[in-house]
Amino acid sequence: MLLRLVLLLTAVAAVAAEHTSNWAVLVSTSRFWFNYRHMANVLSLYRTVKRLGIPDSQIILMLPDDMACNARNAFPGTVYNNADRALDLYGDNIEVDYRGYEVTVPNFIRLLTDRVGEDMPRSKRLLTDDRSNILVYMTGHGGNEFLKFQDHEEISAFDLADAFAQMWEKKRYHEILFMIDTCQANTMYSKFYSPNIIATGSSEIDESSYSHHADNDVGVAVIDRYTYYNLDFLESQVREPSSKKTLGDLFDSYDEEKIHSHPGFRYDLFPGGQDAARSRLVMDFFGNVQNVELEAAQAWNETAWREDLEQLERMIEAARRRHNDTAEVLVERPIEKPRVVGERERAAKVGVQGAWGSQIVGGAALVGCLGVWLAASWFEGK
Amino acid sequence: MFLLLILALTALCAAASEYHERLLLRPLPQNALLASFNFRSNSSQQSFDQQNFRYFPRSLGQILQHAHTKELHLRFSLGRWDAEVWGARPWHGAREGGNGVELWAWVEAESDDEANARWSTLTNALSGLFCASLNFIDSTRTIRPVMSFEPEGTHANASLQLLHGTLPHEVVCTENLTPFVKLLPCKGKAGISSLLDGHKLFDASWQAMAIDIRPVCENGECVLEIEQTVDMVLDLDRSKRPRADNPIPRPLPTEDLECDTSKPYHAEDSCYPLDKGTEPGWSLEQVFGRAIKGSCPLSTEWWGDEMMAGGKTVCINVDPERTVDVRSAKPYGEVKEGHMRCYQLPDGTDFDLELHEEVIPPIPLDQPPLHAARAITGYGQERGGVESVFTNPSLTETLEIVYLESLPWYMKPYIHTLKARLSPAAALDPIKETYYRPASDRHRGTHLELLLTIPPASTLTLSYDFEKAILRYTEYPPDPNRGFDVAAAVVRLVSGGRPEYLRTTTLLLPLPTPDFSMPYNVIILTSTVMALGFGSIFNLLVRRLVAADEVPPTPLVLALARVRGRVGAALRGLLRKGKKE
Repeated sequence: MLLRLVLLLTAVAAVAAEHTSNWAVLVSTSRFWFNYRHMANVLSLYRTVKRLGIPDSQIILMLPDDMACNARNAFPGTVYNNADRALDLYGDNIEVDYRGYEVTVPNFIRLLTDRVGEDMPRSKRLLTDDRSNILVYMTGHGGNEFLKFQDHEEISAFDLADAFAQMWEKKRYHEILFMIDTCQANTMYSKFYSPNIIATGSSEIDESSYSHHADNDVGVAVIDRYTYYNLDFLESQVREPSSKKTLGDLFDSYDEEKIHSHPGFRYDLFPGGQDAARSRLVMDFFGNVQNVELEAAQAWNETAWREDLEQLERMIEAARRRHNDTAEVLVERPIEKPRVVGERERAAKVGVQGAWGSQIVGGAALVGCLGVWLAASWFEGK
Repeated sequence: MFLLLILALTALCAAASEYHERLLLRPLPQNALLASFNFRSNSSQQSFDQQNFRYFPRSLGQILQHAHTKELHLRFSLGRWDAEVWGARPWHGAREGGNGVELWAWVEAESDDEANARWSTLTNALSGLFCASLNFIDSTRTIRPVMSFEPEGTHANASLQLLHGTLPHEVVCTENLTPFVKLLPCKGKAGISSLLDGHKLFDASWQAMAIDIRPVCENGECVLEIEQTVDMVLDLDRSKRPRADNPIPRPLPTEDLECDTSKPYHAEDSCYPLDKGTEPGWSLEQVFGRAIKGSCPLSTEWWGDEMMAGGKTVCINVDPERTVDVRSAKPYGEVKEGHMRCYQLPDGTDFDLELHEEVIPPIPLDQPPLHAARAITGYGQERGGVESVFTNPSLTETLEIVYLESLPWYMKPYIHTLKARLSPAAALDPIKETYYRPASDRHRGTHLELLLTIPPASTLTLSYDFEKAILRYTEYPPDPNRGFDVAAAVVRLVSGGRPEYLRTTTLLLPLPTPDFSMPYNVIILTSTVMALGFGSIFNLLVRRLVAADEVPPTPLVLALARVRGRVGAALRGLLRKGKKE
């Protein structure tokens, strides 16, 4: 018994620093056909994290426009990220969680902070906890400290930093890897202030991110350089979930000559700084773990949370009582809601026969008014 | 004894829940092929209530229970059915929707508010399940049709409400097909569903995916039936192009062209394509990219369809003379009946049909009972009109139709301009009944439902004018210059018996759109004016005005004066010297 307890405790201690689930938030923010490459970027990442084991239920995919079934696409139901067209990113099995007009800044912030309506389906929520590692990948058109959504609105670096801060306060993540491929991308993570975030971007301030190459039959550029070389590493070096490649290996693989911009990294928010961040495995963010934590051995903890629960119950009870009090106050002066009897949310039948009746009533009213006016002028004349 | 019990239990289960599938292939004129997939399964109401799901998809079943929905119809459609070439619609139009997504359901509710709340729950849940923006079906897109829809199932409960919503702009793509196929018992791994491939379905000239759920009661025993339908019209030439190769057609070399040499203008550099008068050849593998992967082991034999009574899983509608080669490694069943040939799929082996190019009469097609077209008329940014034209091709029968329009709130029809003209002119008023609910800005759209009569061999033209609203700056979508989609009008033929429907095309309504950079121009201009104004006033306020003589001389001025004085003195000295001399 004692042995088992000791074993359990050591197990708990061992996993305490680890994460127990992996999530990915993959966001393309560009609408319109000529931004095909942004969708290809995000779908490439989608395919990679799925290949490395994150299930669809733990991937939030945001696609603001439809490229696969776009009338301009010569390859219906298909999105390619390379002119050799060896790999169809759209495939046969894809689940898009937010699409079209749903991809907005408020929806993105709500997703991160989980401030959603009660009817929001689970597949559209980021159901993470303090043991979840999240990969946040964004691509689109951006500028100094902002990223455009659908050429319609912007998210600023401050909004994003505040959203992550709120996530940390709500214990919604363990560690975050933030990747962004856009012009002046490194400015987007410059305002972060919450712990346990590793951030990387494609280009410095006043620097553009460039597309890699175009496919002449698709007619537009199919992938961006930074994402292309990220994928190059992930496809060639991280072949199976047991891969021990680290983020440092990934970051060192970036060649500024090839990317045509200066990728940036931010380690200062991560406990242990640069060394700890760089030694994190790529699979910690791109792959999936299914660690189970056992808490049964912690008897002291049980009483603690029981007490917590009781205290919560008392608070709820008090709030309810307060609410009831105010409700009683309201009852003293009830506000009658005007309720029209028979007003139902239906289309009404338009009666043509009734028109004559109403015309007669209207005519009679006019004649009456005329009579009153005539009578008045007659009295005045006298 | 135990074994017997298990056997008895499985027999019971089998009686309570069944799964059937059927594929109908019909070659259409101009190298088109209609592929109509149908999947039906059911579950007894009792096991559904106890959440015992066998063939009925659990994910959908729990949504229905949560939203108190008794009957549900969901449509994903794309393209236009070309009735003049392809003839009557499959399923008499009852299994298709307007372009985009269409949803209607009978929801159990005591009051309108409760119904609205449950409808919102339903649309949100379905949006998550089907990866479509169904959550955008809010009060502005929801109507309660009066005459257009009737429940297909049997409902004992009277407190049911019908709600209907459409999303005409919604894109239908692979992410909608993925959950659709996952609802099937064989999940696209076997049976006819193995042919469902997004690359082919979304390359089709017309396609409709439908899900219908209804309770069916017979002799006091109720089952919940789910029917999933996929109809598509494929262009054979396009589908047959192998995917690995480039799908973009390249011009053929001149020597490979088949030209009609009888044309007077036929020459070295001009070619009129030769009409060979043949029916094209094709095979399932060529058209769908793969053969059928054997029968779905969960399906039971087809039942209950008058066209296919006692029939088989895959049916092809071709001339009885036409040769159809079957490729299958294992035995399969075949039934020939007039223009219909049906096959029972073999177990666990590929099954392919191959038709060769042949000179053979095309199959006779049913003609549609009604033609309908709708268009926006007028010009300018303020007003417009809608004109719908219905043609009754029958020479003997008068048609009675229900016409349903669900218009967005920013398109405000003037009902007093609603006119119905018959041609040839007739004495009767074609509008029998009108149901109308006016729009309310930002809360609900217009609901217009008309019962119309069209005499034989006549054309009815329905028209009305509308006003375009100006939206608030933030209400415009990211692509406002594309225009705003107006949902298809639903036309129901009141012919008694089976329901017959057709939908018009969706309309694209151009609304007045502001120059979206304008606020920034205004901000910049205002800022400039303010900076100028503030700058000059600030300048005036802080500057101390003094008379010139009050200013104390600066060191520079003093130095200058000193230099000037010295130079002046020196000059004067020189002058004096000169005078003296």
